[in-house]
Amino acid sequence: MECQNFKELLDSYLCGELAVETNHTMLCHAERCCSCRSEMGARRSLRSSLRRACSKEELSDRAMENLRARLRSDSGLDDGPAAPGDETGRRNWFAGLFKMRFLTPAAIVAALALTVGAAWSLSLLWGGDDDHQRLSSQQIKALELSASLVAESAGDHRTCAPYFVNATEPAEMPESAGEYDRACVRLDKIAAQGAKELQLRAAHICDFSDRKFAHLVYTRGASLVSLLVTDRDCRALKSGEVPPYSGLALGTQRFTHDHLALGAYQTSKRIVLVVSDLPVDENAALAERLASPVVEYLRNVEAETGPKERIGTGRLREGIDRVAVNDAGEIMKIDGIDGIFRDFARRIDH
Amino acid sequence: MDQKDKLQRLEIFEAEALGFSSQLFRVALRVCRDREKAEDLIQETYLQAWRSFHRFEIGTNLRAWLYKILFNVHYGEIRRDRLELMPIEETIAETIAYDPPTPQNLTEEEVLAALERIPRDFQVPVVLADVEELSYREIADALRIPLGTVMSRLHRGRKLLRMELANYARGAGYQIAN
Repeated sequence: MECQNFKELLDSYLCGELAVETNHTMLCHAERCCSCRSEMGARRSLRSSLRRACSKEELSDRAMENLRARLRSDSGLDDGPAAPGDETGRRNWFAGLFKMRFLTPAAIVAALALTVGAAWSLSLLWGGDDDHQRLSSQQIKALELSASLVAESAGDHRTCAPYFVNATEPAEMPESAGEYDRACVRLDKIAAQGAKELQLRAAHICDFSDRKFAHLVYTRGASLVSLLVTDRDCRALKSGEVPPYSGLALGTQRFTHDHLALGAYQTSKRIVLVVSDLPVDENAALAERLASPVVEYLRNVEAETGPKERIGTGRLREGIDRVAVNDAGEIMKIDGIDGIFRDFARRIDH
Repeated sequence: MDQKDKLQRLEIFEAEALGFSSQLFRVALRVCRDREKAEDLIQETYLQAWRSFHRFEIGTNLRAWLYKILFNVHYGEIRRDRLELMPIEETIAETIAYDPPTPQNLTEEEVLAALERIPRDFQVPVVLADVEELSYREIADALRIPLGTVMSRLHRGRKLLRMELANYARGAGYQIAN
């Protein structure tokens, strides 16, 4: 590939619009040509800048309230009483946002839409006394993963995993993985708890398009499944900025890319993805089983040097009325909900 | 449909669709260049979307559907059937031969200012692809133009943006990527 051709295709490459084979050719050229590699970095940076610059514009609260009023008026609902159990109109809308996904299991709004798993149906307030906060629509938006991360994760699965489909030697993450991420040295052992029906074929660190992954390659019958762990850097987030809270409250973030299904989880510093060619719902269910122990482990590792926690009050749809929220905004349930999060909150005197 | 069903359906619509309001608004600002007009455009877009929601198939691409309605409303309002380039802009686009290296270390304000200097017909596809991350096919669908035209507009729009930034950077004494 010539430099001129590389530069012509570069923007489409960064958009994830090129075929996988062309991606490979682009990467090979970039590896050899530092001028083109530099241009790739500059254009990527420009895209991030442009996204951040444009993302500062938001519909004002006043305009949003006018819009909602207009919708109600158009439906002839503006004089009606609130439905039972409603609190304020705004809170009801927020509750609806979390209600939607698991009532319509087949509904996947768009490749990059956020979904909320059934275990995470929360209508949440936290904070002490009168100081209530909520996970705002802005926060939810700030947690959206970027198209490039999705494309890179899918690309890594597609180009790397097939090499190991028939591997028979026992697979183990090498010690050298610690040079990339110390927490991933035991990734294969941690993931084993959720990988009962899978066969581990490979464990290594690999690259795809400037992004490094810790990569576990599994087979399940004829299907290839990848578990990937990567940095939660600004390129991984659609806004170009890493929010100061993780995305765990959102449950499985689901995507499709080029006939692959992806399920993703965010901790404070990392993103865990499960990629396969299974149907989307099946991949999501597998992702929850496979990724859960890994996510919990990474959270514990991150929490060892992490912020203090405080107890707030919250209202969960299941009727539990206490949650713990740490300063990173990660929500931990208390008392009795089975799931991947345990209760380990300590009261902090404010 | 009784009030309770209607309210429930509206709540579902709000939960599904209002989450995209800021994304749609950002594009509306590019299209209208006036905040008040952009807010009006968003309101009209959501009204149309709500009225057509019964035709929307849950599970399909809601965001792309909303963008399509937005441009439908906008171009309906200004009585244009499809996105057309003015001849002079086409000429400008055709004379670009030199594609400068992309400058680095520019501020967000400088990047936004450069975007706003390129013709609107190029600005909109660039924002849809590089900010909102729609696929080329989704852009073609939303703007109701052929895929080839989208790719051509994007190619030129991105090049114009880089030229604006390079001119600015040169003028301001920035170092350009080698």
